[in-house]
Amino acid sequence: MRAFVWLFMIAALFGVAIAVAYWFIAHREATGTALLGIMAAALAFTAGYAIVAERDARLEGDNPKESISDAAGEDLGIFTTHSSWPVLTALCVLAVLVGAVWAPLIGIAGLVCLLLCLWRLGAESARV
Amino acid sequence: MAVAAVHAGGIADHIHPEPQGFVRRYVFSLDHKIIGIQYIITAFVFFMLAGLLAEAIRTQLLNPGGGFVANGTYNEIYSIHGSTMVWLVTIPLLTGGFGNLVFPIMIGARDVAFPWLNMLSFWIFPVSGLMLFSSFLLGAPTAGWMEYPPVSLQGAAGTSMWCAAIFLVGVSSTMTGINFVVTILKMRAPGMTFTRMPLFVWGQFATAPLLMIATTALAAALAALFIERQFGVPFFDPAKGGSPVMWQHMFWFYSHPAVYIMILPAFGIISEVLPTFARKPIFGYKLIAFSSMSIALLGFMVWAHHMFTSGLAPFLQLPFMILTYVIGVPTGIKIFSWTATLFRGKIHYTTAMLFAIGFIALFTIGGITGIFLAAIPFDLHVHGTYFIVAHLHYVLVGGSLMGIFAGMYYWFPKMSGRLLNETLGKLHFWLFFIGFNLTFLPMHWLGMEGMPREVATYDPQFTFWNRFESFASYLMTFAILIFFFNAIWSIRNGKRAGANPWGARTLEWQIPSPPNYYNFKHVPTVYGLPYDFSTPLPYKGLDEELTDSPPVPAGAH
Repeated sequence: MRAFVWLFMIAALFGVAIAVAYWFIAHREATGTALLGIMAAALAFTAGYAIVAERDARLEGDNPKESISDAAGEDLGIFTTHSSWPVLTALCVLAVLVGAVWAPLIGIAGLVCLLLCLWRLGAESARV
Repeated sequence: MAVAAVHAGGIADHIHPEPQGFVRRYVFSLDHKIIGIQYIITAFVFFMLAGLLAEAIRTQLLNPGGGFVANGTYNEIYSIHGSTMVWLVTIPLLTGGFGNLVFPIMIGARDVAFPWLNMLSFWIFPVSGLMLFSSFLLGAPTAGWMEYPPVSLQGAAGTSMWCAAIFLVGVSSTMTGINFVVTILKMRAPGMTFTRMPLFVWGQFATAPLLMIATTALAAALAALFIERQFGVPFFDPAKGGSPVMWQHMFWFYSHPAVYIMILPAFGIISEVLPTFARKPIFGYKLIAFSSMSIALLGFMVWAHHMFTSGLAPFLQLPFMILTYVIGVPTGIKIFSWTATLFRGKIHYTTAMLFAIGFIALFTIGGITGIFLAAIPFDLHVHGTYFIVAHLHYVLVGGSLMGIFAGMYYWFPKMSGRLLNETLGKLHFWLFFIGFNLTFLPMHWLGMEGMPREVATYDPQFTFWNRFESFASYLMTFAILIFFFNAIWSIRNGKRAGANPWGARTLEWQIPSPPNYYNFKHVPTVYGLPYDFSTPLPYKGLDEELTDSPPVPAGAH
């Protein structure tokens, strides 16, 4: 985890430095500064997430001296090997976007089905 | 939607049961390997369609006056050809395809972190392809794969469909990026530290943040273009106070990193193939790994070198020119390391190795012309000419596509359990390599002489080389047809591969071909790098992987 945090922290700091430099070099050009700023923020958010939410995580992969017994007891639990909800979700997304371009009614129907699919998809994945 | 039962105390109580039936196993599968194969097959279908469009382009250019298709149709064809090759072929093949197929196994995981998200990422991909090609029915976009406003604002309804399709494929990419980062972060086997990860995994690790972060800029730009076209909200139309240059900023903030999305995983493939067939440790492992990360980061800092002719202020041009030169340094480090890996190696000239060596040669040419283009005076001279077409094809076909073919010949045995025919493979390589160079090399001097890109007709002085290129492109297409025949034929008739036909040392080659649905009976422990051919394998806990015994109960090891 430490290597991951450092990689993303350094990248975020570099992004901040470049965004500030761009702001001055480009005479306050807004689009590029905003894009670089968002990039730095996204990298910082990822590093921050790793620091805060994963601070107690103990990853066997981080320790070169780990053995199999240290990782034993992992339980992948129950999970499905197949699902049709992602396929249906993708088709609903198709309906939403085609509807937005071509026929709003199809889009609304697609949106309703999309919400249903996401609900079922979430419920199925939450069972594991 | 049957949830697989786990039998407490049974022999496989922490490995989920094998899916039964063709549909559950191959269509609705959540298995990362099957999803990888689904990506590969779908992307190659789109590759065939994009190839047909490419041949339509070359056939149109056989004569200075065109005549094969109407000029407007020609604009639609090259726009969809470019969009398909970038978003529906190269990116999905290298990330969703090869990434899903092998990288979880390479780090000793049994699956990716979010299998549902993975499956959703895949299924959004053919849907977006369907939308992209259906734009032909509504009047496809005509402003190239970049769709610069204001031309893209004036296009028919198909341009909105293009926006929606590319937005969707971006969503798919972002989800894949999140999945891969979390998988690499959290699911590595014991002892698989960052500096022991195979270089293909490093390639995916460097690519994933690009997928997550850069794609967001494109998604915002596409949403704005879509809203402006459909609902008239002015973002880019200068007549209504919008800024077309803002599109260029946002588009290239994504699309330059996208070049690295298309090349970093290919770098990873090459870094796997070269040491395996040179029978030597990879030279400069850490240099290659960290140069991938620095390329990914620097890739965000160079976008405006695509905009030197867009009215970019001179004080802004210089930093972008210098930063573009800087990005050549980590790329050069890789090329040096690969060449040093080959030096004094015991080279096996398999088809995968030929494609890897071909990659180094062609990508170097593409990279060097990229350095030319970073120089503002040169860029101003050749911008919008066939020189650009030559450069981008040397990078994306000579680089990414050659890497994809190397990966196909290398990992096809792991996918299918059978080897691709090597004789047909070598024929494919040589015809493709020759055909490619004859097609795209003359474009450099056509561009230098002033032939503009994206034109349906051209000045008669360019006729000879255009005809030459068109006939050469047919040779390249023939080579690709040989590959498709080889792949289809070899699935049933190819020589059985066994677990490790190449004597490779990464984890995916230490388990059966094709792998079992659970990947590993025991999660192995990793003790070192996978590239040192003079020492025993750096893994423990793999003794039973190649036996026919069923998986062991949880906690038994």
